[in-house]
Amino acid sequence: MGFTALSAAWLALLLIPLVIFYFLKLRRPRLQIPSLVLWQQVLADQRVNSPFQKFKRNLLLFLQLLLLALIVLAAMQPFLRREAARTEKLPILIDTSASMAARDTPGGPTRLDLAKTRARERIDTLLPGQELCLIAFSDSARALTGFTSDTRQLRTALDTLTVSDVPSDIEDGLRMAQALGRTANFGTVVLLSDGNFPARANFELSFAIDYQRLPAAGSNFGITAFNARRSVEGAWDVFVQVEGSASATPSSAKLELLRDGQPASTQSISLSPGAAPRMVFAVPGDRASQLEARLVIDGPDALAADDIAYLDLPAARPLVVNVPDSMQPWRHALAAIGGLVFAKKDADLLISDNPADLDTAAPTRCFTGLVPPALSDLLKIEPEPAEVIDWRRDANLLQHVELGDSIIMDRAVSAVGVEEKSYADRGFEVIAHGRRGPLILSQRDRASDTTWLLFNIDRSTLPYRLAFPILVSNLVQSALDRAGLAAATATKTGFAAPRVGQGRASLLSPAETSLAAVEQIQFNDRLSVTAAAAPARTDRPLWWPLALCAFALLLIEWWLFQTPRATA
Amino acid sequence: MSTARPQLTPLLANRDLDRLARLRIGAARRFTNRSRGEHLAAKGGTSTEFCDYRDYSPGDDTRFIDWNIFSRLHRPYLKQFHLEEELHVAVLLDVSSSMQFGEKFERARQLAAVFGVLGLRAGERVSVHLVGADAPHRRLRPATGRSAMMPLFHFLEKVEAGGQQPIERGIETFLKNHTGRGVAVILSDFLSGGDLKRAFSLLFGSGLEPLALQILSPAELDPDVSGDLRLVDSETSAALDISSAAALLDLYHEYREAHQQQLAQWCSQRSGRFQTVNSATSLEHIAFDQLRRTGWII
Repeated sequence: MGFTALSAAWLALLLIPLVIFYFLKLRRPRLQIPSLVLWQQVLADQRVNSPFQKFKRNLLLFLQLLLLALIVLAAMQPFLRREAARTEKLPILIDTSASMAARDTPGGPTRLDLAKTRARERIDTLLPGQELCLIAFSDSARALTGFTSDTRQLRTALDTLTVSDVPSDIEDGLRMAQALGRTANFGTVVLLSDGNFPARANFELSFAIDYQRLPAAGSNFGITAFNARRSVEGAWDVFVQVEGSASATPSSAKLELLRDGQPASTQSISLSPGAAPRMVFAVPGDRASQLEARLVIDGPDALAADDIAYLDLPAARPLVVNVPDSMQPWRHALAAIGGLVFAKKDADLLISDNPADLDTAAPTRCFTGLVPPALSDLLKIEPEPAEVIDWRRDANLLQHVELGDSIIMDRAVSAVGVEEKSYADRGFEVIAHGRRGPLILSQRDRASDTTWLLFNIDRSTLPYRLAFPILVSNLVQSALDRAGLAAATATKTGFAAPRVGQGRASLLSPAETSLAAVEQIQFNDRLSVTAAAAPARTDRPLWWPLALCAFALLLIEWWLFQTPRATA
Repeated sequence: MSTARPQLTPLLANRDLDRLARLRIGAARRFTNRSRGEHLAAKGGTSTEFCDYRDYSPGDDTRFIDWNIFSRLHRPYLKQFHLEEELHVAVLLDVSSSMQFGEKFERARQLAAVFGVLGLRAGERVSVHLVGADAPHRRLRPATGRSAMMPLFHFLEKVEAGGQQPIERGIETFLKNHTGRGVAVILSDFLSGGDLKRAFSLLFGSGLEPLALQILSPAELDPDVSGDLRLVDSETSAALDISSAAALLDLYHEYREAHQQQLAQWCSQRSGRFQTVNSATSLEHIAFDQLRRTGWII
């Protein structure tokens, strides 16, 4: 127990005039009696005149003294000291990510509602001199208020807080708190969250965190992936993945697919925690389509935002390839791949060994036997045999491509002192190395993805190797991806579209759907913060219960004063 | 056919008057007047009522020798008889304002009538004195015989309370106008701050046996007060503020009983008697039960 305004104890001196005025101005009912003789003797008795005897069972005076004592106590602003540390400035970080909309039961409170309740409790128990700052964070953070003791402003800001259907990024919230720390001195930050964020935070802690993890929500299943790949027949194979939370109860559900608002297909699925069933739908690619996937669960579902997802599909047209007739090996390899059209204009893929085509625009380009003009000072090609030393097997172009058994008769030679970093500085990535210089370069920019084969394949054994059709197939796949003809992926919610459905954005976050809760947050400096088992109880101001008691006493005293007395 | 006898006085029922005819005042001491009366004096006399024998002494009147005993015992014995003398019954009725509470004054007037009737029926001289009145001393002059009963009733019926004189001053005033020995029946609440001890002494010195009958109302015997009050004296209009009156009731009872014991002691020391009656108690109970059991009326 402590007092915020101990100086108000001087008001207790008012007890003295109260007692004096009470006995001076006591309104006594008159009662005529035969004689005062006996009463005079009674009042003259020493026992009656002993100290404090006049106060004994003097209910009205007792009530007034008690009333004044309560008012003085309330003015001293007492508070009940709890285990939570008292700080003058306290930022409160409130998680507003998608998982905070999860509920225990249908119609029950969301995690955000619980967080608001705890924040409101902090506001209600705000002591004089204390200031709070509310910060909401989801994938980004924003300060709802500055440091203020204005409870109305804090409550209003809290009421306007809504969930954003985006994954959580605790680091942004902590960085905002750190930025506030430059103007205000505080040692602790309260974190109200369901714990659904990465367990490791790339952040240097400069303050303590009171991590108050909210109770776990109920069972949840949701759509975590919604994409499409073009099938060989010119149609789209649409994939929908459904996942659930670890504590989810097994259930059955229906997955409905709507094309341009019309039901296209429905699949029944059996859901269980840990399983991630992947549904496949075939959608014709004759025209661009707007797809909508809906998950209808036969049972409780904690989170509604992940039960719907949107996907925009372009029309499935063939890939346009521009390759000179002189490059017969390429044309043979491309002919084996279906769904291609050879044309000189508006090509999605340009394959050339002609320096005149260097300025030809195409989303995906592949030049052979040419040196990028930007690297002309760094390397040169010599008509000498070259040997493939190493290559990036994880590069899109070289996946499953074996170059080690190919003989190459052109040799790219780097200038003296030129290293791989020199190419990287000019925007080129070496994906195949020769003994004296690079053999294959990859260049990516906004306009196009360009692959530079620094040797002429006609002067190599590559066309006769199995690696060549695979390389061509990888190149075509890259061109299809670049042109948006191979796959389509749903747009996820984010800063521009924070709500599901806004701009046809979808949540599609396995982390948010899982409703996983982090018990311990690990920070860079090997510090970790563990969730509190129960919310720390804050100091509780006691002035209002005292004021309430004083008011009740006032009513009792008024009633007693108004009660008629026996009169003569 | 029998006709109902008219009520003689509103103070006493005819039935009570009949019952009083067989009773008389039980005076403990024999303060009597020299004039002959029906009241037996303490000393021997010449009435027809035998009292005792004693040895003959030379010079005694030989007419009172019991010759029958002399013939059997051959020794002279003198027969003795009671001396019947007159007893003055002075009834002092307190008419101060304090007697106006409850039924106190009504009961006091009735008891005054009772003692008056008892005296007159016994052939005593009876006088009634109003004490405590602001006006000059008023009294019913001493009278004897049953013929004085109606004037007694008329006098008491017309009396009203309302004076502010303390009882002890009223007794002093009474004694200035009174002659004769006997009993002084004082009907009052005795709630006076004055020197009652002196008043009783004056009565005793004047040959009057004080029979002090304190008449208190239920509000005085057991006050129902609580909280903070301003008490106002009905006689002096003096005010007294008390707080938490209910808490003082124990003390009040303590002082009331002490006051009664003090009065009883003062009376007892002066050959008198004292007792308290509740004005709410019926006259029949007071006169024929309480006063008879205590020997005031025999």
